[in-house]
Amino acid sequence: MDNTALQSTDVIIFVSSGLLVICLMFGFILYFLMSYRQKRKDYILLESQKQEIDQQKLKLEKTLLELKQTQAQLIQSEKMASLGELVAGISHEIQNPLNFVTNFAALNQDLMSELKEEVHNNNPEEVLAIVDDIMENEKKIQEHGKRAEGIIKSMLEHSRSGKGQKEMVDINVMCEEYIKVASEESKIKLGNLAGTYECIFSPETGKTELMKQDIGRVLLNLINNAFYATHQRWLAEQTQNPGYTPKVTIKTNRNPQIIEISISDNGTGIPESEKNKIFQPFFTTKPTGKGTGLGLSLASDIIRAHGGSITVQSEENIGSEFLIKLPFK
Amino acid sequence: MFFEFVHILYYISLIGVFLFCLFHIQKVSPPFIWICWLVVATSLSEGIAKMVVYFQLFSNNIIYHIFTPIEYGIYVVIFSKLFESTRISNILYGSWFILVLTEIINTLYFQPLHQTNTNIMILESVLLVFFSLLLFIFIKDSLKYDDLLKEGIFWFNSAILIYYAFNILVWGFHSFKIYTMINPPVIIYKVNLLFSALLYLVYGYAVFLNYTQQNHKKIKGHG
Repeated sequence: MDNTALQSTDVIIFVSSGLLVICLMFGFILYFLMSYRQKRKDYILLESQKQEIDQQKLKLEKTLLELKQTQAQLIQSEKMASLGELVAGISHEIQNPLNFVTNFAALNQDLMSELKEEVHNNNPEEVLAIVDDIMENEKKIQEHGKRAEGIIKSMLEHSRSGKGQKEMVDINVMCEEYIKVASEESKIKLGNLAGTYECIFSPETGKTELMKQDIGRVLLNLINNAFYATHQRWLAEQTQNPGYTPKVTIKTNRNPQIIEISISDNGTGIPESEKNKIFQPFFTTKPTGKGTGLGLSLASDIIRAHGGSITVQSEENIGSEFLIKLPFK
Repeated sequence: MFFEFVHILYYISLIGVFLFCLFHIQKVSPPFIWICWLVVATSLSEGIAKMVVYFQLFSNNIIYHIFTPIEYGIYVVIFSKLFESTRISNILYGSWFILVLTEIINTLYFQPLHQTNTNIMILESVLLVFFSLLLFIFIKDSLKYDDLLKEGIFWFNSAILIYYAFNILVWGFHSFKIYTMINPPVIIYKVNLLFSALLYLVYGYAVFLNYTQQNHKKIKGHG
């Protein structure tokens, strides 16, 4: 090896490798710079999209909140509406005993005047007869007063705020109670022709544990709908089919572990296209302002909460049948 | 010979950057404060080396034996501040410890004080190239800089990558080809000196960019 000077090949090797190293490093930095810029551009785009998504998410959350609030308000108004319907029916029920009480009280007032006169005339036989009449009337007043008291008690039971407590309920009694109330209410609303009903109760149904107020709400809703459907059909057919008689039937039955409540009517029926929508919230076929569209949705929720099911069979212009199945406990 | 163009360029660059750094050391962010200290330390070591040669006190190679670990130590601090990662910092300080240990072994057994410590310079260059590449990866992953060309960190790191990659070649060539020559060709060292001048100029530019950014932030803050 020459130790005094560099050979030309060594210089070439040094210069070329030096240039190669520098070019490589410059190339790397240039590549890095370009890829960084691209990545940064993508990142900024991604960030702006993320911001947009976040904003949309916020908007959606706000809308969802508003919808939930509206839904809660509608549920509340549906509850109030059903309570209103209940009150209307019960008020009509109270009207009868109150009329009796008022009339008998007025009669007794007249008898008291007569009694006064007979006492002055010193006619003991007449006095005794009038006293007997007064006592008889008092009995009737008491009897009708108790009837009104019973109705009020029942109303209070309905209006008390149920906190999801289950109690033993006689299904047949409950069904009868509600169909009576609904019938009275529909007579007020739709006229005397509406409200014709038939009860076919199986004595085996018996008592079961459920939330009375909630199931009552379901029954009231289904029965009211049935009366409404029959009335609608009557309105539509009064000229073409004068022989049409609206009728709502409530049936109860018990399979060993299941209680069945069927509410059927010979009303307008549900069109095929709407059958799968009727349990959806806010779906209604009633005119605006007549229904919230939450009745059947709530009914479905309540029945499911009890571990049961609710199904519908319907044919247009033939009628509908809602079948509730509840577990027997 | 001493006042040749490359030498003049190198020393003027070094003095210029040294003065600039000295006046701006308090106005830049922490990693750049340490870049300023690096320039100051390099200027001092070069000054001492030249004085040693001028007064013929002892071999100026001793200065490089001492300065190389100090220089690498400052680089370690700069990188550790730029990475902002405890794990990388530990690796950096570990590498400094290894370099110091290697320097001692190298001085004792391979390149004594009167010889240039090229082995250590090669090791230092390899380590700096490695950390420079790692910092590039970190920059790419962080994506926090809008325009890299306006960032001092990019210029500083690019300068390190090119200069020290070239340094590996220079000192490698020196160790295996020229070291045993009676009249080594000075052209290689002059090329290296030219690159050193450019390195310090780029360091100065990086410090300037950081100073401008900090100043801009200050004005914005006051506004």
